[in-house]
Amino acid sequence: MIIQRYAENALRIIFGSQIDMEVHEKVRRAFFLLISIQRHDIIEIIPSFCSCLVIYEEDLTSYDTLSNLLKERLADLSAVEMPLPQVHEIPVHYGGDNGPDLSFVAKHCRLEVPEVIERHCAEIYTVFTVGFTPGFPYLGTLDESIAAPRLETPRTRIPAGSVGIAQRQTGIYPFESPAGWRIIGRTDVRLFDPARAPYSMMQIGDKVRFIEER
Amino acid sequence: MNAAITVRNPGLLSLIVDLGRTGFGAVGVPSSSALDRYACQALYSLLDCANSPVLEVMGPRFALQFDADVVCAIAGARVKAFLDDTPLRPWASFQAKKGSLLRIKEIKEGFRYYIGFAGRIEVEAVMGSYTTNLECRFGGFNGAPLKSGDILHLNESLEIETNVIPLNMIPPMNSPHILRVLEGPETDSFTADSCRHFWEKGYHELFTVSTNLNRTGIRLEGTPLVFRPEAPKSIVSEGIVSGTVQIPGDGLPIIQLHERTIGGYARVAVIARVDQDRLAHLKAGDLVCFERITMAEGERLWMEKKKIITHLQSLTDSTHG
Repeated sequence: MIIQRYAENALRIIFGSQIDMEVHEKVRRAFFLLISIQRHDIIEIIPSFCSCLVIYEEDLTSYDTLSNLLKERLADLSAVEMPLPQVHEIPVHYGGDNGPDLSFVAKHCRLEVPEVIERHCAEIYTVFTVGFTPGFPYLGTLDESIAAPRLETPRTRIPAGSVGIAQRQTGIYPFESPAGWRIIGRTDVRLFDPARAPYSMMQIGDKVRFIEER
Repeated sequence: MNAAITVRNPGLLSLIVDLGRTGFGAVGVPSSSALDRYACQALYSLLDCANSPVLEVMGPRFALQFDADVVCAIAGARVKAFLDDTPLRPWASFQAKKGSLLRIKEIKEGFRYYIGFAGRIEVEAVMGSYTTNLECRFGGFNGAPLKSGDILHLNESLEIETNVIPLNMIPPMNSPHILRVLEGPETDSFTADSCRHFWEKGYHELFTVSTNLNRTGIRLEGTPLVFRPEAPKSIVSEGIVSGTVQIPGDGLPIIQLHERTIGGYARVAVIARVDQDRLAHLKAGDLVCFERITMAEGERLWMEKKKIITHLQSLTDSTHG
């Protein structure tokens, strides 16, 4: 674990440099530990694939004080109490207008369309982080045989619920938004509701399975 | 009957904002804060309130009509504003009589301006904030920009004394914008030569603000930064702070504002907090250059600015006892 300064009131706690389950597990444990200690000087904790970003209130602490405290508290991550990961089953309408890039992905991967769908549905994915837009889960790890590059020019608008893939990741766009991933389908499930706690259907560590909706 | 205000012309874009939504970064909810937080705080001082919803407006021709006597204030970009035919002072509050019309005719300096009222605009807080998340359409005025005919209700119309922010407390907002920056987490992804041109005095490369700018980010044009041959062009997506300067594969900077919690491009720099309000005033065609400072300088400058903000808050306290 390395702690690095990022801004006047922000630091990064870094647990590794690549996407893998071991690093993810450390990030997840650190995240839930940081939440459990309920410090008023910590304003925001953003966990992602390899790190936790911590934004703090500089009137209540300093970088030196906080980083020393974090080093001490995060030294042992073995006994952190965490919520059980939830498993979400997401029905998806694949292809057609719902998934304009499905045939590209099939062609790119030299597979038939049904094979791409089958492989996308075969995996149980882990939510590595939530972000980009509220509630967007970055899911891994996608079967290498259906990995496809991002679009060179992102689309400016795609419908809410669109399911995309990019390299070894897949994800779901909770809102109508710009999108650079290859869109292979769409779900009717609402992933984020700003009017109702806990707001986001998914959080770091949750599991996701896609089911083909016919 | 509560006081009401009718939007007659929303300008290019007007939104309800406040100082931002915090505490939900782990599920991807960005701050969506007012871009010029200092101007927003000046309004709070003039209107004797704290973290209330105010309007953030872009572009001239904004107009609204008061359907009751209301104390109103304007800060941010220097505008030519009129209450009926009376010109208004910049960064000041004023008494608007029932039936009067506020019009913004021209922007003289800066880009975004802020309008607030004595009495809270009746909008619901969403996830602890009144600010609009425009992309996801929540918060603010039903998640939407204001349009002609929209009516803002105030929960009460407070009678407070009008006031003025002293001219020496109004920051410059015109091009060229010299933005102080801290080194970013991926500074080492770029050649030493291109970093020198990016942020060292005497080598300065000027960038131009492109037309590709919105509340999410500002794309700059100019000489692209050069990645070291071995450096990856993207990073494993990671949490970012507002003001992070990201460099995508084409080498041209994107300044992230308050609408993203995670980024995947190399972060060459972070705009020093002291200069982040200035980002509200970058408009297409403006010139921008960066100046590297140390973390210690960044901290010191921010502490100084906070003193000014505290002073701002105390300016009007005396008038209300």
